[in-house]
Amino acid sequence: MREAFSNALVRLALADPKVLLLTGDHGYALFDEFRKRCPDQYINAGIAEQNMVGMAAGLARVGFRPFVYGLAAFVPIRTVEQIKLDVAHDSLPVVLLGDGAGFVYSHLGTSHQSTEDIACTRAIPGLEVLSPADRFEMTASMDRAYAANGPVYLRMGKSDRGDVHAGPVDAISPGRLLQIRAGRADLPGLIATGSMTRTALDLAQERDLSVWSAPSLKPLSVQDVCAAARNSSGLVTLEEHSVLGGLGAAVTEITSEHQPTRVLRIGVPDRFSEHCGTHAYLLREHGLDIDSVRARLHAFCQDTAPTAAATLTA
Amino acid sequence: MSIVAPPATDNRNAPRFAPAKMRRIVLEMAYAGSTVHIACAFSIIELITVLYRHHLRYPGNDPRAEGRDYLVLSKGHGVMAQYACMHELGWLDDSHVQCYFKDGSDLKGLSDSRVPGLEVTSGSLGHGFSVGVGVAMGLQRKRTEQKVYAIVGDGELNEGPIWEGALVAAHHKMDNLMLIVDKNGFQAMGTTDDVLALGDLAAKFSSFGFETLEVDGHDEVAIDTAIRRLWASGPSKPKALIAHTVKGKGVHFMESDNRWHYTRLNAQTFADAINALGLPGAST
Repeated sequence: MREAFSNALVRLALADPKVLLLTGDHGYALFDEFRKRCPDQYINAGIAEQNMVGMAAGLARVGFRPFVYGLAAFVPIRTVEQIKLDVAHDSLPVVLLGDGAGFVYSHLGTSHQSTEDIACTRAIPGLEVLSPADRFEMTASMDRAYAANGPVYLRMGKSDRGDVHAGPVDAISPGRLLQIRAGRADLPGLIATGSMTRTALDLAQERDLSVWSAPSLKPLSVQDVCAAARNSSGLVTLEEHSVLGGLGAAVTEITSEHQPTRVLRIGVPDRFSEHCGTHAYLLREHGLDIDSVRARLHAFCQDTAPTAAATLTA
Repeated sequence: MSIVAPPATDNRNAPRFAPAKMRRIVLEMAYAGSTVHIACAFSIIELITVLYRHHLRYPGNDPRAEGRDYLVLSKGHGVMAQYACMHELGWLDDSHVQCYFKDGSDLKGLSDSRVPGLEVTSGSLGHGFSVGVGVAMGLQRKRTEQKVYAIVGDGELNEGPIWEGALVAAHHKMDNLMLIVDKNGFQAMGTTDDVLALGDLAAKFSSFGFETLEVDGHDEVAIDTAIRRLWASGPSKPKALIAHTVKGKGVHFMESDNRWHYTRLNAQTFADAINALGLPGAST
């Protein structure tokens, strides 16, 4: 997935000399290829993220296409106001790349973990939000970020969960859900984004559930969410992000208004990480490991589709 | 956006932008809109008039001309001074002055980049300078002769991104960028010395790698000379002009009285202020 990211960035920069990569002194090995092949388009702006985002807005004002890279804890979180005021207010074509979102930096603690970035960026007017699940979605997301020609936040989370698609995906239309598994309509359907999409797929295979991947979180297609709601007994959202303001919130905003259904939001509860450990450990701490999710999913199936659920256990 | 009425004139040669006249427009706007920040605008009047009269280039008098110089008003609180100059340029008309702050009007109380002629959305301090650094970097990469001027307040220098931007500007040898500090000695709640002392600003910016000059920020000839000297000072260094100014300058009862950061005009103070400008026939 990181290779797909690097490849896409190099490809876009080679095709358009106006593409610039700005980094806040992060991405040591990640940008080796970019620095080798597009050295003049690489700018290390120093450990000064606020200035970096403002500067990207200035570069965009005079015709450049800045891609601004940082850890999600810093870009966007540290720079939310610069994104709002300097970038989004004027619909400038700046792509914000937030790496390590969720609990990727599980050992480093709260400063490097980011579970509020989708919530913060979703509320900024005109800012598109992307959250790819695998290398194929990453490639398509990078292409979409460039094609958008406006402000975009691209969230990069845990990147080694494996593919969820069998091969390259079509160009991303903003907001469209990608169905990655068709399952029973009398049981809950799963909508997942980023790293949790693999978990959703694994669980769906156990129970023959439908799964949709949401690489494009804002805008989010009313039509697609309603269709998913109609073709299931309820919806379960999965994300390595707070249950407040993220994918789950976006889905319920739509269903509550257009297609009322039960929605189980699986994400990070309203709390910081308590302990240190591996990524898998922290997922357990927050109830996002596959066993914890399976248990909640089971209860939700019993609750929303008792008859159908009975056929599963039979 | 309904604003833009560019008559094709060369603003550099016109004997316009008389400071007292600019201050009168500020007072008229502030009175019409019952707004604040009059003193913040008054301290930069001479700085901004010298820039518009002698330095800023707008091909075709078009505020959005691609080849223009950029005036970034990072201290967005002084925006009425810029509106006054934009009125002089024909980019704003009398109705913009008279309808300031009316429901549905375009001009806000702080700089808003959607208004042609304003380059940044500021007022949240410490933003405009960074955007200006980015514009300067972009123009540098395009190898144009265009210049970027960024006016920051001394109070605004409390903001961290200013110093981040200063490091970056020097590191990238942005000799097309001039930082102008409106050193009026006040910020919202008191003097800069009392709130957060800035020390020797010229020494600070020099040590950051800027070519730096200090100037009386109300002496138009001195400002013009200093700006020319800075641009002539040789390549590879960004420029800093530390302008010593008086908050509220031009109306004696507002000068260095920080209440005029917040105070609104009434009929009497408006008349007194207009009279204090000493414009011919200005008696109200």
